[in-house]
Amino acid sequence: MAGEAEPALSSLLAVGSIHLTATATDREDAVRQTGRALLNAGAVEAGYIDAMLARERSVSTYVGEGIAIPHGTLAARDWVLRDAIVVLRFPDGVDWQGNDVRVCVGIAALGGGHIALVSRLARVLLEPRAASSLRMAVTEDQVYAILE
Amino acid sequence: MPERTVAVASSVGLHARPASLFSQAAAKLGVPITLTSASGKSVNAASILGVLSLGIGHGEVVTISAEGDGADQALDSLTDILNTDLDQA
Repeated sequence: MAGEAEPALSSLLAVGSIHLTATATDREDAVRQTGRALLNAGAVEAGYIDAMLARERSVSTYVGEGIAIPHGTLAARDWVLRDAIVVLRFPDGVDWQGNDVRVCVGIAALGGGHIALVSRLARVLLEPRAASSLRMAVTEDQVYAILE
Repeated sequence: MPERTVAVASSVGLHARPASLFSQAAAKLGVPITLTSASGKSVNAASILGVLSLGIGHGEVVTISAEGDGADQALDSLTDILNTDLDQA
């Protein structure tokens, strides 16, 4: 992997994939909105949203730092049209089984690309300043900068 | 320091559901657990972000280590989790 230039995560953000002032009534609503953002970005077919909900019910995609990363099950990869991420910020927070989620990063990846994509995203978010910057982001440019 | 070396049984690797279940279990043990990938990167096993950041695939060998009272027991219980295909659970 050394020396291999991977495209920046931000290159997977389609136009219109960042929603900085979203509100959701609950976790399922937030996951559905995240799925719809992936659908609107042309990254997935509608069936992927149900798979995201199924995944979430199976085990929470909360990863700490006020961030959840909703994504489909392995079985749902046929619904994926291209690799993509979307960012939905919920300034009022969403109750995520007792955790306060401020940002959902929705993920779609073709075939086996899922693991590598989540791993790269996790490496970015492990830096505490990156996670807090994402929770506080008020412009799309800030989100792009974090995911560079 | 007690440690165990295990090949990850879950078909998606230590990712998604298996990663979450592994981290949640590690957090409940009351003993700090270190997870180290074959390439030598170490993270706190109780941190989901840390575990995900390693990007460990199916069959990859990882090492878990812990110190203090209950370390061996804690490592045995996590070894059972790593040896289980959690995608099917």
